[in-house]
Amino acid sequence: MVPGPLGLDPFVWLFLRLLIAVVLALVLILNGALVLIYLERKIQATMQDRIGPYHVGPFGLLQTFADALKLIAKEDFRAGQTDTAFFIAAPALVFSPMLASFVVIPFAPGIVGADLNIGLLYLATLGSMGVLGIVIAGWASNNKYSLVGGLRSAGQLISYEVPGILSLVTAVLVVGSLSMVRIAESQPGPFTNIFVIPLAFVTYFIAALAETNRTPFDLPEAESELVAGYLTEYSGMRWGTMLALTEYGNVTIVCAIMSTLWFGGWQGPGVDSGPVTGPVLGLLWFTLKTYAFILVFMWIRATLPRLRIDQLMSFCWKLLIPLTLLNLAVTATLLIAFPETKVPVAIANWILLGAFVLGLPLIQQRRLRRIRARLRERTIAAAPAS
Amino acid sequence: MSLDLIEPILFGLLALAIVGAGLGVVLAGRITTSALLMAFTFLNMAGMFVLLGAETIAAFQILIYVGAITVLILYGVMFTPQGPRAYGLFFQKQTTVGAVIAALAALPVMAVAFAFRDAGNVPPRGGDLVPLASSIFTDFAFPFEAASVLLLAAMIGAIVLVKRE
Repeated sequence: MVPGPLGLDPFVWLFLRLLIAVVLALVLILNGALVLIYLERKIQATMQDRIGPYHVGPFGLLQTFADALKLIAKEDFRAGQTDTAFFIAAPALVFSPMLASFVVIPFAPGIVGADLNIGLLYLATLGSMGVLGIVIAGWASNNKYSLVGGLRSAGQLISYEVPGILSLVTAVLVVGSLSMVRIAESQPGPFTNIFVIPLAFVTYFIAALAETNRTPFDLPEAESELVAGYLTEYSGMRWGTMLALTEYGNVTIVCAIMSTLWFGGWQGPGVDSGPVTGPVLGLLWFTLKTYAFILVFMWIRATLPRLRIDQLMSFCWKLLIPLTLLNLAVTATLLIAFPETKVPVAIANWILLGAFVLGLPLIQQRRLRRIRARLRERTIAAAPAS
Repeated sequence: MSLDLIEPILFGLLALAIVGAGLGVVLAGRITTSALLMAFTFLNMAGMFVLLGAETIAAFQILIYVGAITVLILYGVMFTPQGPRAYGLFFQKQTTVGAVIAALAALPVMAVAFAFRDAGNVPPRGGDLVPLASSIFTDFAFPFEAASVLLLAAMIGAIVLVKRE
């Protein structure tokens, strides 16, 4: 049992510590979501040659705070035929796994909620739990758009979990540990995992975009087809919890995973300079790396159009999963064949990445040619009848 | 008050939740409620594994049962046509037969449970990742492979069943 500071009873400290940790995580998520929404709006505005929010506060900084206050103050409104218990439970079911994920993320040397030796498995587990809440939300709304949105989301999340977890496993094989702290510690200096397994990073990045429902994979909430997907019937703070807090929280988590696994997490110049400056600098590097990925996510949202559901599924099952499986097999074989050096793994990974990037246009060309041939056959077959 | 007391309390709460939610799965009149309660049961089972010091198994329990199987069941439920007929098929009211079968199945389980005295030589932290992985791939390699072949056969069977023509 850990004795508390200032002569506190260890039993009291146990609960007090829990309380402090939960409050800190909540504050982090709430403020993080506000900052991220502001950034999203500003960045999209800049890319689309607009100004974005600028009325409330300096540079419009307080706009999202005002929006959040409005959401909290809104009337608790529900459509008549919703499934009350499930409707209320769904936002909590989506939010709580996301909140619990922050436990294992190493923010700086020594600053981590719990150094679980199965940290990455724990994150994958919680990531898969959110699907349940989304399906329940779609079901409980008693609305066909919500239902279709929830089902699409479940299909998409379950499909893209496979390449996501396979890419994570590849990184775990290279590092040799599932603990997030050990993974961050194993990449000192400039030679981080991104140079060793770039293909796993690219596949995880794609899977992460899909798992957080970001463009170009934001089909569950495709507003032109499905109103707002599983969020259609939600309003007020329930909508705020589901969309703003959970979506941006999940984006933060996948970006933190990417920066920890492939870019060394808190590693950077000056992290072992002292007991105070080390963690502060580590926190700075970690935040910078994570937010860099978040900015890329926002950039993609402002740039790419949305995929169709069949394109989404066939890309995942026909291309991404075979590729990640091949990558996993090659990495595992090379790691067993050459246990002392990571150079063969790196060479194989870079070659596979090149094949992936250069092969995509070829595959696309072949697909288009096949579709056109089929169309031509159909028109020829239909011609005599008309 | 100390930590020694917390473990039995947690065990009691988890056991109550498992039995209660399990009963709810069987007795609830709606298929979605049953599915959600089943997820709750699996979560509490994972809590039991954590209490036993097997966090890895707990994580896999949630990953597979809550994150995948329950969602697939809900997926299936949502594609089934809703109506009084469907519920009639799902919930058969054969209480007496069910109670007798449940009692017959419970008897050997209870006999084993009450005969249990000591765990014997269980290595500490046996549920950790490394001992778990090495025992799967050395001592239990054959059952593991047999299970994967079974799953493969089931998957191929499912594909053949749903394939048109």
